[in-house]
Amino acid sequence: MSHTIFTATGCARCKIAKKYMDQQGIGYEELDIKGEGKEPFGQFYRANRSAIFRGKDGIEFPVFTDGSAIRQGVGVVIAYLQAGRDLDGFIGRSELSKGWIDGLHISGGPPLLGDKFVSVLAFLKKSGLRLQLGTDGRNASLLEQLLHDELGDRLIMDVKGPIALYGRILGEDVESTEIQKTIALVTRFPEYEFRTTVAPVIRKEGESPEISYLTLDEIGETARLIGEITESKKQPYLLRMFDPKTSRDERLKTVEKLPSNALFRYRSAAQKHQVLTTIEKV
Amino acid sequence: MTYPSVYPTGTTIYNPDKCWNGYTIFQAREIGALLIDMNGAEVQLWKGVHGFPNKLLPGGYLMGSLGDRNVAYGMQDYIDLVQIDWDGNIVWKFDQYEFIEDPGEEPLWMARQHHDYQREGNPVGYYVPGMDPMVDSGNTLILNHKNLRNQEICDKLLLDDTIIEVTWDGELVWEWICSDHFEEMDFSEEARNIMFRNPNMRPAGGGMGDWMHINSMSLLGPNRWYDGGDKRFHPDNIIWCGRETNITAIIDKKTGKLIWKIGPDYNQTPELRELGWVIGQHHAHMIPRGLPGEGNILTFDNGGWAGYGAPNPGSPMGHQNALRDYSRVLEFDPTTLKIIWQYTPQEAGFMHPVDSNRFYSPFISSAQRLPNGNTLITEGSGGRILEITADHEIVWEYISPFWGKLFNINMVYRSYRVPYEWVPQLDPPKEVPVERIDVTTFRVPGAAEPGLQRVTTVDGVLPYQGPSAMCVATDTEDEE
Repeated sequence: MSHTIFTATGCARCKIAKKYMDQQGIGYEELDIKGEGKEPFGQFYRANRSAIFRGKDGIEFPVFTDGSAIRQGVGVVIAYLQAGRDLDGFIGRSELSKGWIDGLHISGGPPLLGDKFVSVLAFLKKSGLRLQLGTDGRNASLLEQLLHDELGDRLIMDVKGPIALYGRILGEDVESTEIQKTIALVTRFPEYEFRTTVAPVIRKEGESPEISYLTLDEIGETARLIGEITESKKQPYLLRMFDPKTSRDERLKTVEKLPSNALFRYRSAAQKHQVLTTIEKV
Repeated sequence: MTYPSVYPTGTTIYNPDKCWNGYTIFQAREIGALLIDMNGAEVQLWKGVHGFPNKLLPGGYLMGSLGDRNVAYGMQDYIDLVQIDWDGNIVWKFDQYEFIEDPGEEPLWMARQHHDYQREGNPVGYYVPGMDPMVDSGNTLILNHKNLRNQEICDKLLLDDTIIEVTWDGELVWEWICSDHFEEMDFSEEARNIMFRNPNMRPAGGGMGDWMHINSMSLLGPNRWYDGGDKRFHPDNIIWCGRETNITAIIDKKTGKLIWKIGPDYNQTPELRELGWVIGQHHAHMIPRGLPGEGNILTFDNGGWAGYGAPNPGSPMGHQNALRDYSRVLEFDPTTLKIIWQYTPQEAGFMHPVDSNRFYSPFISSAQRLPNGNTLITEGSGGRILEITADHEIVWEYISPFWGKLFNINMVYRSYRVPYEWVPQLDPPKEVPVERIDVTTFRVPGAAEPGLQRVTTVDGVLPYQGPSAMCVATDTEDEE
């Protein structure tokens, strides 16, 4: 199987990916898009537009292909080389730059694959990148290991809602103790933030599901939960707006988006328990 | 601004027939919120109640603050905004904007209010026929502070201005953050460069850049421009002015975007050049419907020092580089920028520019249009409040007798005239005219009576020349 990696002159993350392949003895052809790879990449891009993300700052490199799959971004490429598709849930596209990498979802994959995930993170960390991890509370033991191994420079916990609704929001059963354990671990990372998306909740399943947004009280309860476990009312806590268009659940795509000023009331509700609550700029 | 060592305070001029008579509310320096009648009688003091500013609502309700933040950590941060009844009971309060923990201070929620606020029902916070502010319900717009960083403006900590809307129950339902709109303000690269180096740094809290310093905020209210189809002047839109940038702007309440503005560069268009540089201005607002001049912008154009731009001898680093040592009160059409009415040193009768600094407050100050067409002007730095007719006659003048102990100044930030019926607790006072004293013959006890005791005549002396013979040119030369 031939491996091709498209790189850009001066791209530090491309060098990290190549270093990984060199260390693992993986052969590859490198095409620098600012040199000899310009035309080949143009053709490759036109043939694979849907698989290559192009943001407002252009295309992130490296872009890798082995003929059967296309992977973009250093974390995703190394994860693929390490474990094929196994780590797809753990490692996604990074939106950070200037030495930081994110898209590292602790709760995104099965715990059994945790060791492989840790191995990728260790390589990225050793290569000089600072790691911003994300969790929704699941895989608390894996989070504990990452904390122990000092593989998280910043942790963002997406607290889905109050414990009573957690499983309903995630769409699977979760142990409340695991969520509580994660909340307790968060504050031990060098930098951290709690976040909650004010999202719609499927209150009752069925052909005509009953759907409504998290209430003011439920956001207040979420803030209280964070305060109770961390024993602090001054945690960094961000409330975010839900965008139905980005929902993976088809049933939520048709939910009406909250008005732009709706978060103010939620902030007031949360501030009763977390005084530093802020809201995302829309 | 030019005062002798000794001069009278209290009411010094009062013509009841030409005044729009009522009570006047203002913050008496380090005393409290003071209500006076036209003769200067101090009819009610809310002792120690702060006010930035104080306003009176119908029914004898006062608005103000219970105190301000330790100045070691905050710059003009008032801890709350309260509504207090005639007897001193707090009937409404807002402070839940930011939780503050200053070293050595009790942690508490603060509004961080400053400079202005508006209660629903009235767009500008002063008397308008048929537009009484609500006293037992309604939302309140509040101007506040927030510390943040914005690399486009400066790499230093900023003291930013925000406007919020809170319900009667204290829920925050709308917020506007000034620095979010920096790119809409048309600063030249020159101004941006100066601002990045020094965004008006103040020492509080280890240093923060008070880059804009918004000092007034009000709604437009119903107006003829909007009725005529100009959407920029939607009644819900908000006008504010920022003294450090010389900008006066209107923001769209829905989008937050700036949709009308003057400044920061008054050389940009012929209309702005005709209006002249508005410097360090205060209390810019649209005269509400129902008052003479409705729809026009009324502002106290302080002069003094403000703005960011090219260095000059008066501003070697380009910070606060626009300079003028007299003030102007301007009423202008927001669509043409034509001045409709003004009160400047010339209208005040001072020879310009040699005596112009006698109408001058380089900071604070305000102007309120009254129902009979008069204008109540607070020339703040000298604690002077005066009522001017449309043809520029002073029909009421009051000098605050309250000098602070912490600040040795009798400044009045802003004053408001309210009708007698807004204070039902009091019978309307007797209005006693105060004739203007002829200062050429007035003498204090112990001084010699006026009159020449001996006159010597000298043959050959010539008549005195006019003002063109002065050391500097005056406006009378232009006339000649």
